[in-house]
Amino acid sequence: MRALTLLLMLGCGDEPTPSRSVVERLPAREQLIRLSVDTRGVHPDASELAVIESNPDNYEGFVDRYLQDPRFLGRMREVFNQRYLTRTGDTYFSPSEAGIRGDSTEVAASLADEPLMLVSHIIENDLPWTELVTADYTMANPTVAAMWNIEYPDNVVGWQQGRYRDGRPHAGILSMTTLWMRYPSMGGNANRHRANAVSRLLLCDDYLTRPIVLNRAAVDQLTVDPEDAINSNATCQSCHSTLDPLSAHFFGFFHVDDEEGLRLATTYLPENEQDWMNYSGREPGYFGKPTNGLQELGQLIAEDPRFAQCAVRTMVEGITQRQLTSEDWPVLQEYVQVFEDNGLTVRPVVKAILMSELYRAGRITDEALAMRVPTVRTVSPTQLASIIEEITQYRWTFSGVDGMSAPAFGLGVLAGGIDGKFVTVPSFEPGVGTTFVQERLAQSAAWEVTTHDLDPGRTEGAILLAYVTVEDRPETSRAAFDQQIRYLYERVTGLPLGKGAPEVDEMMALWTEIYALEGSVEKSWATVLSVILRDPHILFY
Amino acid sequence: MKLSRRQLVSGSLALGAASLLPSARAEVGERKFLFFFAGGGWDTTAVFDPHYGSEDVDMEEDSELGEVGNLDFTGGPNRQRVSRFFRKWAGKTAIVNGMDCHSVGHDSAANFVMTGTSASSYSDWPTLIAASSRNDYPMPHVVFSGPAFPGTRGETVVRAGGGRLISLLNGAIVGQSDAPAPLVSSPADRIADAYAYRRVARFAEARMEGLGGARALSLQDNLERAMELEGRRFEAGLDDLGTDMRAQALQAIELFRLGLSRTAMVGISGGWDTHANNVRQGMQFEDFFAVLDEVMERLSTTPGTYKPWMSDEVTIVALSEFGRTPLLNGGNGKDHWPFSSALVVGAGVAGNRRVGATDEGLVGIPVDFATGLADDNGDMLGCENLGVTLLRMASLDPGQFLPGVAELDALKASV
Repeated sequence: MRALTLLLMLGCGDEPTPSRSVVERLPAREQLIRLSVDTRGVHPDASELAVIESNPDNYEGFVDRYLQDPRFLGRMREVFNQRYLTRTGDTYFSPSEAGIRGDSTEVAASLADEPLMLVSHIIENDLPWTELVTADYTMANPTVAAMWNIEYPDNVVGWQQGRYRDGRPHAGILSMTTLWMRYPSMGGNANRHRANAVSRLLLCDDYLTRPIVLNRAAVDQLTVDPEDAINSNATCQSCHSTLDPLSAHFFGFFHVDDEEGLRLATTYLPENEQDWMNYSGREPGYFGKPTNGLQELGQLIAEDPRFAQCAVRTMVEGITQRQLTSEDWPVLQEYVQVFEDNGLTVRPVVKAILMSELYRAGRITDEALAMRVPTVRTVSPTQLASIIEEITQYRWTFSGVDGMSAPAFGLGVLAGGIDGKFVTVPSFEPGVGTTFVQERLAQSAAWEVTTHDLDPGRTEGAILLAYVTVEDRPETSRAAFDQQIRYLYERVTGLPLGKGAPEVDEMMALWTEIYALEGSVEKSWATVLSVILRDPHILFY
Repeated sequence: MKLSRRQLVSGSLALGAASLLPSARAEVGERKFLFFFAGGGWDTTAVFDPHYGSEDVDMEEDSELGEVGNLDFTGGPNRQRVSRFFRKWAGKTAIVNGMDCHSVGHDSAANFVMTGTSASSYSDWPTLIAASSRNDYPMPHVVFSGPAFPGTRGETVVRAGGGRLISLLNGAIVGQSDAPAPLVSSPADRIADAYAYRRVARFAEARMEGLGGARALSLQDNLERAMELEGRRFEAGLDDLGTDMRAQALQAIELFRLGLSRTAMVGISGGWDTHANNVRQGMQFEDFFAVLDEVMERLSTTPGTYKPWMSDEVTIVALSEFGRTPLLNGGNGKDHWPFSSALVVGAGVAGNRRVGATDEGLVGIPVDFATGLADDNGDMLGCENLGVTLLRMASLDPGQFLPGVAELDALKASV
């Protein structure tokens, strides 16, 4: 390991680091694996690993290359979903109301990604982050366009820019039906839930975390006239003085009758824009500044320093798998500076994160820092699925539904992921559910690979078992077994076994034990492969 | 003294890969808890706290007062399942009314109701109960759905992700995918586990420090738990139930029966945040009480591990983060209200009892904690009082967790 003593590097160069920390970098191969899993969701290939091993200074070149990889956009959608929580598995309405037949899982996945595809559109085109709240368009694929009544160009496929047909003002994410379906508001709530969503999602400021104490008088007052209590009680006003003017922007999306069908309930109602008068009585405004509608709100949010800070915080927390604390404030500010210096484009700030010593750390000798910064990262369910798929060509599907990414299916939550509703914070400490998910996925993938590769009638190349045949046995083909097991470990984990590594003999012994028990070459290899696919270097990176 | 899981596993691994893993250890008899949670805020007047005749409370049209023993509830033709439940199980059921949840924000109120505080570092009641058990449960607290506040005891909580857990545990899921694989035989599974475990143990041993070390150790610890769980014989058909509230509740009972878990959380189906169209509450309560009835039937006909029946060993607790305003708003909905109710059923519960009360405006009033009756000289009932009572019913000392909070003695059976 290369020990780096980093002294007072704050403000020096472009690597935000804590002062006086001692960090040992991961070995070069493992650095590249971490980088690849974080940016692309898969391990690097053998040639990439050889390149980094030959010269660790190639790391920065890989950072630049991986940030241009299309899979990076998918990873960033996953990172921002941890804040927006739109991937819930909900379709909100029956897709048949929009003339969509078939599986609702795909519909739910598409609807959830309306805001997240704007995020990746911004990143892909190096647009300023302010586009998120100022874009004069939304993002839609044919499914979203059909469900939400969005113009969609002819003769194209996939995600495209589009505009709502109901004439609503466009202000990026603030105009999206998906967001207001995910964060609904009815009756006396009067868009306050939505206002808090805007604050929490875009400014990282959750009103609900503010401590309040309601005395008996306030409760009695609430009973008689809630709006009067909110407007006159000092405790209530500590939040509502800014929350309610924010809420006032969203009455075009406010439908009193929740029994309406899809088309009515998702149509923007300009005639309702002034309905704040019937509820809080507070004019639209943004933290004391009066506004004239949704688009001006978007502009003011874009100018708010908290907006850029929140985006950076989301990226840092999502990529480094930790909650930032007040102690991280200087580091966060450095990244924000990088963000601002680069016109609020995302790739430079992500690069700064990926280049930092803390990101590349394999060991941290400062105890307090080691308790804040994990030197072991845990794959998300979707990363686990994509790593396994890249290695084995196997995807765990159930009646066509991707078991690891569909929120409603449950496997993702079992493996430490979120479902956007009940489970909103990922778990990075592998639980018993994670171990079972990894085991059963490994068993399923291993069986597919084994039956494919050991099929004597196979005409295409082997996926993984290229060094052995169905006729080979450890006692007669030891060299082939040795070569095969070493190949499997390196292919699966990205790390070659050492010369005297016990794993080779152990896997041969495992093969022999299973063969004695089951009498099946396929089951023996499937078991060996499944055990290797359960290696901690798959789950951790 | 309870043996650590690692002691057991390493002991059996030392005997060789084939002899392998520990079978279930003898379980010390202790009460288990099944929690239900209605996320969004339930309308307490829709079942638990009827206020017919009050001008300050809008009761559901076509409903009428139901009474069984000392319990009164909102009944009528649209509450047939609710009424049926109380007719069958009133003797084991207590209703808690007028409970102050201290907040009308969903997240903060849920935090209060489940932990008794607004602090995120506090563990919720089921986590505390599971973490403080005398038994070493492989999955101490299983969250099928609904809220989880693990606080500093994250290792206690298993997030089950709907109803997939059993098919993962028994391996059936490998045969359910689009490319089904054969079920791995139990002996082969155990052998493979032992090899997988060795590699994980080596990995963890090399990374003992800081947060990274904690993650590696968590994998090792939970792989040990998984090895204990594998091969357990679950009741046939349990993984074919689906993933809904009923399936989750029945699977929770099975985990209790097998001594795999002490507490479980199941979210109550439905959209409870009825700022409009509040009449949905009644229908959702009907669905919930149908499941509750089936759960009680199951518990009452399943032999217990230290008492004759599981219904003598399991306490059911149903909660929501807050209640709803007494009067309908302009959209026929009801908004957030800090006073709520709870339903507590089964083992250790003083049944046929109503504890706490609200005034004609649905505001909580002082209560004598010994009798549960309204008393001007009593104390205001808060969600924390219910919580510490549950801890006591689980044989814990609540003072270790929330010192100074009074227990609701009226809720506890006098045994």
